Amino acid sequence: MTACWHIALREYASFFRTSIGWVVIALYMLLMGIWVARAIIPGEPASLRAVFQTSQILLLFVAPAVSMRLLAEERRSGTIETLGTSPASDWAIAFGKYFGALFFLLTMLAPTGLFLILLEVIADPDYGPIATGYLGVVLLGMLYLSVGLLFSSFTQNQIVAFLGTLFFFLILLLATTIGATALGEPWSEYLRILSLGARMEDFARGVIDTSHIVFFIVISFWFVSLTAMSLEFRRWR
Amino acid sequence: MIELTQVHKRFGQVHAVRGVSFRIEPGQIVGVLGPNGAGKSTTIRMITGSMPPTSGRVSVDGLDAVDDSLEVRQRLGYLPEANPLYPEMSVAGYLRYRAGLFGIRRSHRAAAINKVIDRCWLSEVTHRRLAHLSKGFRQRVGLAAALIHDPPVLILDEPTNGLDPSQIAETRSLIRDLAGDRTMLLVSHILPEVERTCDRIIVFAWGEIRADGTPDHLLSRGRATVVLEANAPTPDALVSALRALPGVSGIETAALDDGWVRATIEGKSRETDLREPIARACRDANLLVRELRPSKESLESLYLRLVQDEPGPAGKSKPGATP
Repeated sequence: MTACWHIALREYASFFRTSIGWVVIALYMLLMGIWVARAIIPGEPASLRAVFQTSQILLLFVAPAVSMRLLAEERRSGTIETLGTSPASDWAIAFGKYFGALFFLLTMLAPTGLFLILLEVIADPDYGPIATGYLGVVLLGMLYLSVGLLFSSFTQNQIVAFLGTLFFFLILLLATTIGATALGEPWSEYLRILSLGARMEDFARGVIDTSHIVFFIVISFWFVSLTAMSLEFRRWR
Repeated sequence: MIELTQVHKRFGQVHAVRGVSFRIEPGQIVGVLGPNGAGKSTTIRMITGSMPPTSGRVSVDGLDAVDDSLEVRQRLGYLPEANPLYPEMSVAGYLRYRAGLFGIRRSHRAAAINKVIDRCWLSEVTHRRLAHLSKGFRQRVGLAAALIHDPPVLILDEPTNGLDPSQIAETRSLIRDLAGDRTMLLVSHILPEVERTCDRIIVFAWGEIRADGTPDHLLSRGRATVVLEANAPTPDALVSALRALPGVSGIETAALDDGWVRATIEGKSRETDLREPIARACRDANLLVRELRPSKESLESLYLRLVQDEPGPAGKSKPGATP
């Protein structure tokens, strides 16, 4: 447990010691800024609903950039060997890496509070849907990071980890949108369960559906567990 | 402390380690020697729990390296061959992280870090980034990290690889210092490295153990030769004078610039002294002798001879003699 905590802390700190953390924060602020600017329409109610609804796409490029280095870089530089010969279990490594990235994601969201201040100055926003929207973004981020972590454990190459994660979610996005429409009943029903967009829409509207929360948390932990198994498998190969 | 029993490791078609067995007692400093690709690093990786053996058993302090991997790792300090570090971290930050990984309590952490910083002469670079350190300093950081939890077993894989001569000397003296009452395994492909530091040498080649013993014990396996310089008209004349001697298994000759001939004569056994029969043979052949001295095979040439031959198709390892 302590090993997991130390791995998470080191990972979190290294985002800021290398340029990747700052680049990712800047990228996220830029993308979100553009969306916020588009969402503010004179005469309309001040809401970030449109921003949160499109988080699925927004985070699609940001989260894999956070997760790509987690294990791929350890494998490339060989530090996985000193990590793997320390008394940290493969589960502690997988979860430590995951929580380190998750803490970074939460930090990345903090400066978007500027947009809220801006909104407060120019209008009178309803904070309910904004709070649930943020919750949705965090849960979505958890899922993206867990899949990204798994892809990062497969390769030494960060670009491959990034693209693998990106393709995974692009395919999921296409399957649950265009795919679901094309296939019709009953496939569209099944695909709707996997649709991240539909769940994000609920969060953006201010709805807290426990099933969504459970979905994101369970699937995320499932992918982190797969990562731990992938590390174990590497040992046994 | 460390025990391997009939350990095999295969990677697909490659049989990297072939039935290796040895036992290292607490406090021993053992050099693991062999050319690149001899199976040394694979063996080390099986001890550190990075990979399980295909068959056989590896144990450290009575604990199985596979079943009790975490407990085994807690007892090991390991410096991998490439000494991988996180370039973005500072020396102190990295040591703090390693201390945390090994479960050293917060209250003891500072003391543990200061101790290894002192022992590995790192005080002047404590706050520098690892990326900005010279190779010699990086190596010391790797050693410090391996020592942070004061492990009873220290495993160093090619610790002087890629260092310049002064750094090598420095690192060697540090290693001797660190040994103390620890059990130490020093992996190297350079003979003088282990010859000077180790109580015992295990020679690996082609995935098996070729020799195992103290440096003296190994030397006793070396060949005994006699060097002779005589005024024979041709090298062949000297050979024909000596060939008939019992106890001679081989003669190499070379004509010297001043007209004399030098012969290196190899005996069948290490114990028989060939000097007297050679002197008599030269007198009988009317040759003048100006030099006649025994010469023992150096550890270096013995080592080269040990690692040269490929194993037979059976690939069986000879059981290593424990000193």
